Amino acid sequence: MRTIIVLFICFLGSISFAQSNQRFEEANTLYNDGKYAEAIEKYESILDTGEHSAALYYNLGNAHYKLNHIAPTIYNYEKALILNPNDKDIKNNLVGYAQNMTIDAIETVPQVGFAKIINNLVNTFNADTWAIMAIVAVFVFVLLFLMYHFSYATSRKRIAFIVSVVSLFFACFAVAMAFQKASLDKKDNPAIVFAQETRVKAEANKTSEEVFRLHEGTKVQVLESYKDWKKIQLSDNSTGWIPAQDIKIIKSF
Amino acid sequence: MQGFKNIIVLLFLFVGLLSQAQIKFEAKVSKKKLGVNERLRIDFEMNKDGDNFVPPSFKDFTVVGGPNTSLRNSYANGKRTYQKTYSYFLAPKKRGKFTIKQAKIEIDGEVYKTFPITITVTAAVERPNGPPSASDVASDNIHLVAEVSKTNPYLNEGITVVYKLYVSTDTGVSNWREKDNPRYNDFWSQDIEIKGLNVQKGIYKGEEYRYVVLKKTVLYPQKTGKLKLEPLVLDVTVEVPSGRADIFGRQIMTNVPKTITAGSRTINVKSLPEEGKPSDFKGAVGDFKFNVTTSKNQLNATESLQAKIEVSGKGNLKLFELPKLTTPSSLEVYEPEHKESVRTNLSGMQGRISDTYTIVPQYRGKYPIPSISFSYFDLKTESYKRMSSGELLIDVLEGPTAAANNTNSSATTTNTKQTVTPSSNTFAFIKTKSNWLPITSQPFFKSTAFWGLLLLPFIAIPLAIFIRKTKDKRNADVQGNRIRKADRLARKYLSEAKKNLGQKETFYESLERALHNYLKAKLNIETSDFNKEKIANLLTERQVEAQVITNFISILENCELARYTPITNVTMQNDYDKSAKTISLIDKQIR
Repeated sequence: MRTIIVLFICFLGSISFAQSNQRFEEANTLYNDGKYAEAIEKYESILDTGEHSAALYYNLGNAHYKLNHIAPTIYNYEKALILNPNDKDIKNNLVGYAQNMTIDAIETVPQVGFAKIINNLVNTFNADTWAIMAIVAVFVFVLLFLMYHFSYATSRKRIAFIVSVVSLFFACFAVAMAFQKASLDKKDNPAIVFAQETRVKAEANKTSEEVFRLHEGTKVQVLESYKDWKKIQLSDNSTGWIPAQDIKIIKSF
Repeated sequence: MQGFKNIIVLLFLFVGLLSQAQIKFEAKVSKKKLGVNERLRIDFEMNKDGDNFVPPSFKDFTVVGGPNTSLRNSYANGKRTYQKTYSYFLAPKKRGKFTIKQAKIEIDGEVYKTFPITITVTAAVERPNGPPSASDVASDNIHLVAEVSKTNPYLNEGITVVYKLYVSTDTGVSNWREKDNPRYNDFWSQDIEIKGLNVQKGIYKGEEYRYVVLKKTVLYPQKTGKLKLEPLVLDVTVEVPSGRADIFGRQIMTNVPKTITAGSRTINVKSLPEEGKPSDFKGAVGDFKFNVTTSKNQLNATESLQAKIEVSGKGNLKLFELPKLTTPSSLEVYEPEHKESVRTNLSGMQGRISDTYTIVPQYRGKYPIPSISFSYFDLKTESYKRMSSGELLIDVLEGPTAAANNTNSSATTTNTKQTVTPSSNTFAFIKTKSNWLPITSQPFFKSTAFWGLLLLPFIAIPLAIFIRKTKDKRNADVQGNRIRKADRLARKYLSEAKKNLGQKETFYESLERALHNYLKAKLNIETSDFNKEKIANLLTERQVEAQVITNFISILENCELARYTPITNVTMQNDYDKSAKTISLIDKQIR
């Protein structure tokens, strides 16, 4: 009975994947024919089925770019980059083309020294990968430790002990990295400004003083929210409150 | 002669009839305004004799003299003019405004009435009843007037002030000079140049005057509320008739220097309505057109193009800022060039102002310039209007891309052949393959599976050690091991027989086969020399106890016997147990 259910689920999954693939192909054809608006509709219908991929977001971004939609282009490229952080095409189109359309020029405060090294290290893998590495290391440790415990030859015992201790350390390190990455991910909540022009206020109400203005397509970090307002931070570390409807959070898949 | 007389008589009659048709009965006063210590003369004139003249009651005046009656008959060009006047001299009793009521007379049986006249009696004057001084005459006959086109304009709505100098027909102005040019605080002002002074005729306070326009100014109020216009002050030399005549009978004019002012005017400036005020409103009031154009839409990187923001129309063109051009930050934009071509006339400022931006794109790509909006207050509809330029797009066809700007600077080699250089970093095409993931994915990290897999191996260590220890213990127990091993062997060989327990034929067949197999494995004997004696011998050689051997043999015999005799299930079970026991015993004892 259980095997039947499992098979059934697999079958359903493959059906929906097949459906998505078919729609994806159709949308790609529309895109190639220059019918970008229809292509966007088709791509978005795939999202409604509860499936996504870096390629889908990337293609959506491309279609929006062709229609000169600034914010949706960048929004979709950023989403694609989250799913596939090392894709050259996505980076090329985002940095080389889409970001040219934005109006705001914001300096980035560079990270320096130790913090940069740590962050680079943490960001090499995502939290799940770190977690799997930790588990593998734990298994290696246990196996080698038992080997050390049960073997009689001194040399083998020695090697097993050293390797097992190293892998234990590595497991601890990987767990720490996974936690660090998870907390970084939790803190990292980027959003894209969708309003053509929006005033960022010093306080979370309309009457307060304007701190700066942002234009469509600018990427901001959301720090906290209060009622209909979001506290945002720019890459030059300036902060302010922005109406929630003016931005769209990238990680809301 | 007789005929001539007749003609005259007829003529007289005719004139009489004519004059009868235009009967006049009027009251005239020497002055309408006088000091309380002055006197006033009132004449009631008629051009036909009448009866029953009833003067009005001069209750606020004392009649100093009169009524005096005068008669005048004159003939001019054969026309007869008749005039009869009743005159009274009146002295006012007190200060104030008084009305002299109607006088009545009956002419040809009809009653005629005069109009009532209002007289203002002021405080006592210095020289009662003297002839008015030349300067008084001058001030009565010359007026400087500021005409304001609108006294309650909106903020930034253009108004005009026209200064007119009215001069009555019997005086003249020989010289004039502006003494004090008014400054218009809180206004943006521009004078309109006047070429030559044109004398025109006009009516001022019901009387005929000549006038010249001295000054025209266009004003744009910059503040709301009541604003005062400073008066224009003129030094004028006025020629006033002195009342005397020279020997040719011409009036002698006396020159009187005089300072006249236009009087200060207050203008009430309304603020623009707050309701519906657009956020991008920068104070433009009037009627405008708004245009944003680019000199080209497609170009290569490092070429330049001009974007022009232009406002044209009528209104306070010089008094507001043009909206700024917002461009993508990756475009190089230079400071705009501001141009104004504005004419100012009586209806206000007219023309166009523009800002021209020079833009130099550095990289390839599309650069949308967001829509620019311009709002102004329309005076006709008294509402705000907004105009948008619509989005412009600059398409940079060729050039480096922003991502690769620092990588390609390779020297171009002089090669006659055309090299195929792949233009790197073009806009990448869509992906054609996709790996689908469910949108709602559970993170593995921090899940139960993660913690389980991370921690369970640690439990495996003591567990493994414990297992190893018990195993060692069991290894150390030799006797027990042998028993366990034998049991295991017996179970292994008898498993088939056990399966067939209950079916007589197959059970015994498999039991026999199992016993043979066991012996084959243990004693290394071939199937051919398989008889009971040999088995017994071999087992005895291997130091198996005689009792066990007989048991083994008896089981084999039972197997053969069972084929021909009926056997119950209980016997079968007994045989199975017995063989299992025997096998394990043999295994234990065999050397």
